[in-house]
Amino acid sequence: MNALEKEREQPAAEKLITVQTSRFGEIAIDQDRVITMTSPFLGFPESKRFILRPHGPDSPFMWLQSLDNPDLAFVVIRAGLLGEAYDPQVPGPAMKELEISGENDRDMLLILTIPKGKPEDITANLLGPLLINTSKRLAKQVVLDPNKYDPCWPLFQK
Amino acid sequence: MLILARKVGEAIVIADDIKVRVLESKGGLVKLGVEAPNEVAVHREEIFLRIVEENKKAAMETPADLSSLAEAFSLNKKEQEK
Repeated sequence: MNALEKEREQPAAEKLITVQTSRFGEIAIDQDRVITMTSPFLGFPESKRFILRPHGPDSPFMWLQSLDNPDLAFVVIRAGLLGEAYDPQVPGPAMKELEISGENDRDMLLILTIPKGKPEDITANLLGPLLINTSKRLAKQVVLDPNKYDPCWPLFQK
Repeated sequence: MLILARKVGEAIVIADDIKVRVLESKGGLVKLGVEAPNEVAVHREEIFLRIVEENKKAAMETPADLSSLAEAFSLNKKEQEK
């Protein structure tokens, strides 16, 4: 089972902290589930800490909510959902920065852009995926080869 | 901003281990050679700007409700698998 699935587990009460968010109001989060960025988030350098919230039990989507900016939340999916179509080679230095030692403690998320009024034109950013060390809860948006990966890849392939 | 004038063949050194050399200058196009440790990411600026722009768009346009989109996603996936 993937480590990110643990988001669904109930945290111990003493580890809970409350955070104000625009989208979800005041939320209680488990301190151990906080994800820390190892490099400034491109465009949002003030946001260093995030929390992943599943959208629902049958949904592929998750919310990546900033704990440093109540207004900032992304919709993300696990890159693995794209199957063989997307299996990029991750730059070695990024793996080192995130202290990733093996396949078991890494995961990759894709940030989605959902155009207002045209949600069916949803795209995934394949150029800048979020690489996560799932055991140490560290993350970084890595920049891949722009000749190979599209920053607005249509998620609904026809 | 620090501004340095360099001729072709000359370089600047950043910190201890990053060297940027002007290799060629022709018709408004400058070729730079970058020597940097493996862990230093070097990208064309526009790639970074592209990701900043996409991140901002993604943050701006998040919908209030994802349920119908989640449904559409699983339908689309099933269709592709056929």
